[in-house]
Amino acid sequence: MNRASKAIAVAVAVTLALAGCSGGAVKNAAGGNDTFVIAPSFAVVTDLDPSTAYSNELMAMQNVYESLTRYNSKTKKAEPLLATSWTVSPDGLTWTVSLRKGVKFHTGRAMDATAVKESLDRNRAAKFGASYIWDAVSEITATDPHTVTFTLSYPAPVDLIASAVSSTYIYDVKAAGSGDLSAWFNTGKDAGTGPYTISNWTKGAEIEMKLGSYPDYWGGWSGDHFKNVEFRVTPDANTAWQLLKNGEVDYVDVLTPQLFAQAKKTPSVQTSAGSSFQNLLALYNTKSGPTENLNVRKALQLAIDYSGLVASLDGAGVASSGIAPEGLLGYTPGFEGKTNLKEAAALLKTAGYGPGGKELDLTMSYTQGDDAQAKFATLLVSAIEQLGGKLTATPMDWNAQWDQAKSSDAAQRQDIFVMYWYPDYADAYSWFYSLFHSQKQISFNLSYFDDPKLDAVIDSLPKLTATDRGAAEAAYASLQKTILTDNALASVPFVQASQHVLSDRVGDFVDNTAYPGMVHVYDTKVVR
Amino acid sequence: MTRFVLFRVAQSLFVVVGVVLLTFVIVRLVPGDPAVAYAGNRATPEQLEAARQKLGLNGSVLTQFQSYLSGLFTGDLGTSIHTRQPVLDDLSRFVPASIELVLFAMIIAVPVGLFIGRFAARHHGKASDIVMRIMTVLAVSFPSFWLALILQTTLASALGWFPIAGEYTSSLDTTSPLHVWTNITIVDAAITGNWPVFVSTFQHLVLPGLVLAVYPIGVIAQQARAGLTDELGQDHVRTVRALGFSPREVVGRFAMRPVLSPILTLIALIFAYSLVNAFIVEAIFNWPGIGRYTAQAIQSLDTPAIAGVTLVIAIIYLLVNLVVDVAQAFIDPRVRVQ
Amino acid sequence: MTVIVQPASRLPFLGAIPRAIPRDVLSVIALVVLSVLVLAAVFAPWVTPYPADAQGATHPLQALLAPSPAHWFGTDGVGRDILTRVVFGARTSLIVVAAVLLFAIVVGTLSGVVAGFAGGIVRDLIMRITDIFLAFPALLLALALALVLPRGIPTLVLCVAITWWPWYTRLAGSIAASISQRGYVDAARTLGVSSPKIVFRHVLPNSLTPVIVQASLDAGGVIIVVATLSYLGLGVSEPTPEWGLMVQQGQALITTHWWVVTFPALAILVTAFCFNVLGEGLRVSLDPKRVAR
Repeated sequence: MNRASKAIAVAVAVTLALAGCSGGAVKNAAGGNDTFVIAPSFAVVTDLDPSTAYSNELMAMQNVYESLTRYNSKTKKAEPLLATSWTVSPDGLTWTVSLRKGVKFHTGRAMDATAVKESLDRNRAAKFGASYIWDAVSEITATDPHTVTFTLSYPAPVDLIASAVSSTYIYDVKAAGSGDLSAWFNTGKDAGTGPYTISNWTKGAEIEMKLGSYPDYWGGWSGDHFKNVEFRVTPDANTAWQLLKNGEVDYVDVLTPQLFAQAKKTPSVQTSAGSSFQNLLALYNTKSGPTENLNVRKALQLAIDYSGLVASLDGAGVASSGIAPEGLLGYTPGFEGKTNLKEAAALLKTAGYGPGGKELDLTMSYTQGDDAQAKFATLLVSAIEQLGGKLTATPMDWNAQWDQAKSSDAAQRQDIFVMYWYPDYADAYSWFYSLFHSQKQISFNLSYFDDPKLDAVIDSLPKLTATDRGAAEAAYASLQKTILTDNALASVPFVQASQHVLSDRVGDFVDNTAYPGMVHVYDTKVVR
Repeated sequence: MTRFVLFRVAQSLFVVVGVVLLTFVIVRLVPGDPAVAYAGNRATPEQLEAARQKLGLNGSVLTQFQSYLSGLFTGDLGTSIHTRQPVLDDLSRFVPASIELVLFAMIIAVPVGLFIGRFAARHHGKASDIVMRIMTVLAVSFPSFWLALILQTTLASALGWFPIAGEYTSSLDTTSPLHVWTNITIVDAAITGNWPVFVSTFQHLVLPGLVLAVYPIGVIAQQARAGLTDELGQDHVRTVRALGFSPREVVGRFAMRPVLSPILTLIALIFAYSLVNAFIVEAIFNWPGIGRYTAQAIQSLDTPAIAGVTLVIAIIYLLVNLVVDVAQAFIDPRVRVQ
Repeated sequence: MTVIVQPASRLPFLGAIPRAIPRDVLSVIALVVLSVLVLAAVFAPWVTPYPADAQGATHPLQALLAPSPAHWFGTDGVGRDILTRVVFGARTSLIVVAAVLLFAIVVGTLSGVVAGFAGGIVRDLIMRITDIFLAFPALLLALALALVLPRGIPTLVLCVAITWWPWYTRLAGSIAASISQRGYVDAARTLGVSSPKIVFRHVLPNSLTPVIVQASLDAGGVIIVVATLSYLGLGVSEPTPEWGLMVQQGQALITTHWWVVTFPALAILVTAFCFNVLGEGLRVSLDPKRVAR
């Protein structure tokens, strides 16, 4: 054996020896039995300022900060959190909210109505992320130390709005003294009221964030609560699955449908499956291209293989009915997607396409890297081909496809725009306002539909939701008839399913659809 | 020699400026609005416009480039649109981790590759040579994520010999905190005598390092084999053999040197290339490196971040090239004459 | 043992073509396999069991079926026959690989040899331009180009080739530099042989070796890069089958439905190996100092 091979043999031996030294993976090495380890697939923190945070950090902040209310997807109502009760005036313009007593911020200051007013005012003034949800509120007053009054310029469901996942946090605005509060937050500090507080934040590290328990939490610490939370950034689903099986991780929000199926058969692991408030929409361009013609749009609606798509998603998606997903006020059964290629062909013929007529040539964009959208695209391309036409489906970066849809030159825009949508707070209003209301500057109304009558119905929704739920439901039903049936502006191929996987150490886990991708760790318990 | 080095450094500066300018131009070409990365996917038009103002995105390419250059002189590489952190901070966090991984991989790859190449050259044409060649082609064409997954599920999950993911066991941050000098964990642990962190990092390096080493092993082995086979047929080699030197000495002392020249070039190329292209391996092993950062930056059209990464990679690449060129001058005295 | 050493002055190219046809068993096998692949690709619609699956057809209810007599390689996420798609995929992959490597070899070697031989300013200029391409993230360059040029296979080839040739320039350059210093080159110069002749007769043929070796290894790599571009929506788009893209798409299914990744990956490996063997055969045949053993 020459020197080189000897050297290599030695190196291998040393490696194995060192590896054996303290073994490879150690169960629960990270923080011990009281630590709940979450494995997000992206870096956690972009912005730690509770008034502007609108990204992944929300999964951590939901455990550190609290809002006035929290949405319960089973009862479909906003429930008390930092608020204990509330009343609304008959005209829907004044909301009087009673606050919980004995709540302290992590900075030590007690929470009172003034603090609530200050933090919400700051959130509204930020004009970033979801701050628009407060647009109906013209003024917030601290009428007494434990009562806050919201004065609205038009009626809106303040209890639902206050349960939103962002822009609703109550925190100590004096936490930084005279310094820059936003900068203070972004050094890794927090000023919330929640059960946990940020104990460590290392940007870019694998264990990016650690939360420790806040001893003076108003809910108390009796019972088997997890004392710590850790976020271990794991981009790859297979890796997350292995870490979970090995006991190094307690919660994975999304694996792949196939790994989820494996997880269901694995005894040492729990699974939680359900629906969500996120659905996929295909918006049809009404201002240019073949889709300008109503019959073409209707044909497209019928060309989608709804059941085939859901089958091929293997549990990652469920069938939809209408624009609003189930679990929200506004969900209307009866708008399920129907596939009928014969009828679609007939409609295309009426529009002048097909044998003997023009050739149907459509363009579509979808988000690259998303497997479900890719499947949808593939199936639709195939269907259009069967109808004798051609569909060019291009995977694009979100940024690029949004840019294209917003081009000032209408001819450049794609014929079909595919995207997910989810609400900022548990209200179906979000879809209708953002996607179908006319817009002076194109934002998300990517069917480019412009109808004042439709606008008027949409504008009436907030008031109805606050004052007359029955009328609101009727309004939603009529809207969906106008949008889906009469004008064929869009299709909703599926609603995303939630498929979470947990270790068997976690008890009392409840999947709250209004807070996707997030766990309220305090509400779970350690199973020993 | 000093003149040579100085001259090369001056040229390198020219390359660096060229690369950065190219970055600005190219990012402008790619459709999309970088403000979206800042304001979010659901930003309203007003929010987007506000973001564009704040980030200075409304200026021309030349204006942006100029302000970027002047920032460089003060050590300010701008702020990443996506991570909201100063790019310099981001880079000083991620680049050393990538260097750690790629360096480890190259330390494995070079001796193993050379060994396989020599072995194959010596047994040219025989069955063992063919087997070696099949394996080197496999090494170069095998999808890295697949290999990573195989190693991870067998050696880590199933057998428990190595950790599944991460750079080192995080609980060591409290029990045996690391004093940072170079930001390269294993080097810092060695310098400060922090044995627990050293061992832990080493254990975590093995699997991703092995996966990254596979491609260079294949390339180096094949080049070494081909080069050696050529050399061994040369007149001067036969002369040396005839003079009585043993086959091993013939290969090691005389034939190897000219063969090393293209291999050294390759090592430099592969090193720089791997720094960014290791993003798949980094993703699978939760390695906090620059590959993932770059892939993200490109997707978000995050110009400061892309420019920063390009700058760093360009500098590293030019430095490594310089070292290689100097090394080649040593190995092949005839090159020095130029 | 008599050894036949061909002097470096023989012009290898014209006479080399018949000599370049390798004679050893491995090369013959590789040629046969590659020919079968090419033929299968050309006659794909007639040779495959479900040719519609390579165009628009989908069968979502038969998604992810394991290999069986009906589907030798199983089906993918939307129920298409993988065997059919692998065969059709050869069309794109083979063309792209051949075109990219050819472009890269020609441009890379020429620029590298000129740089290595000329030395001085010319060398520095060429090498620095090459450095700019090498230091620049290849992905970004390919992305930008693909967005500016019209979609299609020629654009795809250009995008990949542009990020590929600098390696060859560097390789060819380094060996050309050392060869240019060798005794016989000096001798030729002294004798008054013109520079271009020296380059073409002495420097170029000898610089080819590392380039050909690298190219013969790069076939698999090219396919994987094409896959990344296709995945980003720049290269081939659904439903056109392409091996690298199929591997990418099957990545998430590796532990649960192995066949979606395995068969296209095998196709890549086999093709890459054939290219490698042929490259080796070419290298041996073109070597002016070839030693008959």
